[in-house]
Amino acid sequence: MKNPYKILGVKETASLDEIKKAYRTLAKKHHPDLNPSNKTNEAKFKEISHAYDQIGTNEARTKFDQGEPGEENSKQQWSSFYNTQQNAGRYANSYADQFGDDEFFENLFHGAHQKRRAQNQDINYLMDLTLEEAVLGVEKVITLANGKNLKVKIPPGITSGTKLRFAGHGLTENSGPPGNAYIMINVLPKAGYIVQGHDIETELPISFMEALLGAEIEVPTLYGSVNLQIPPNVSTGSKLRIKGKGIITNTDVGSQIVKIKVVLPKKSDPELLKAIKSWNGKYDYNPRGEK
Amino acid sequence: MISSLKIVEAAENSGIDQNIILKFILNEWVVPLNKKELTLDEEDIERIKLIRELGEEFGVNDEAIPIILHLIDQLNHLHLSFKNNYCH
Repeated sequence: MKNPYKILGVKETASLDEIKKAYRTLAKKHHPDLNPSNKTNEAKFKEISHAYDQIGTNEARTKFDQGEPGEENSKQQWSSFYNTQQNAGRYANSYADQFGDDEFFENLFHGAHQKRRAQNQDINYLMDLTLEEAVLGVEKVITLANGKNLKVKIPPGITSGTKLRFAGHGLTENSGPPGNAYIMINVLPKAGYIVQGHDIETELPISFMEALLGAEIEVPTLYGSVNLQIPPNVSTGSKLRIKGKGIITNTDVGSQIVKIKVVLPKKSDPELLKAIKSWNGKYDYNPRGEK
Repeated sequence: MISSLKIVEAAENSGIDQNIILKFILNEWVVPLNKKELTLDEEDIERIKLIRELGEEFGVNDEAIPIILHLIDQLNHLHLSFKNNYCH
């Protein structure tokens, strides 16, 4: 459910007048009559109007703040999809071929039923995926117990332990319906990449100079390399976020968290040492004293 | 009435990230009307919003989503068939 305060761009503490003002401004901007060529405007306008309905009056706002509109919105979303299916909807009609309507209703109303035959056994398979394959998705072919090949489309963002079901690809030893094939996913670890929820954490070694002055560094991600801006004065352990380069879920896309590791040169340069010694005397710098 | 939107437009329209929409399509939870150009119509957009809500509001995981969609589609089909065949 979208937050009506966010849709209208007001704070949750905003007054009714402020909400009304924000609504009027946005409604004017997105009104379909003013932008007939923009396909997305109508939906946006509806969204703004609905948000205002939710928090535009004291009564509605109290209900929303107490969490009541969630249910209302859910019903609305379910019925929105339902409404699209009531006039030859593609999704609903995809079932027409699976069971003929007449036959189904005859069975339903005349009590006709068939004796069920014992189903054949299911078979389980284990599929190892690299982290890249799991995050980005992949298509693989596995050879089933009956020698046939099965093309398996792995969706992006799959996690270890996910079980994919392939109906009818199990055993077919007896005359009953065939069993199912189940593929259990195992995502192999990748050195240097730690998955934490929807985020992926990596370490980035940088030089003393880069830490001090800042830099633009090319960082590998599972989606390809990106240039990361390192701000000046970062320390080992500082974390920088690259949005949209983590795990894809149904609600968001995680980030890659880049953990900085400052690496000093193996050999000290006498000139640098001299400069540091001179600097050290001049400035009061004690990281253990910082709060 | 939405006639046909590209994924970028659908993302803007629904407020859902393009990658998430693409994931729904790759999972075959959403089947674009035009599979070649990946354009989505109103049915697809409403279905995308429904899937997102299933995950966000009801905590439904990826394994359960196709089962729920399958049942919803069957129910919608049966409801439509019932109306057409027996409610004249």
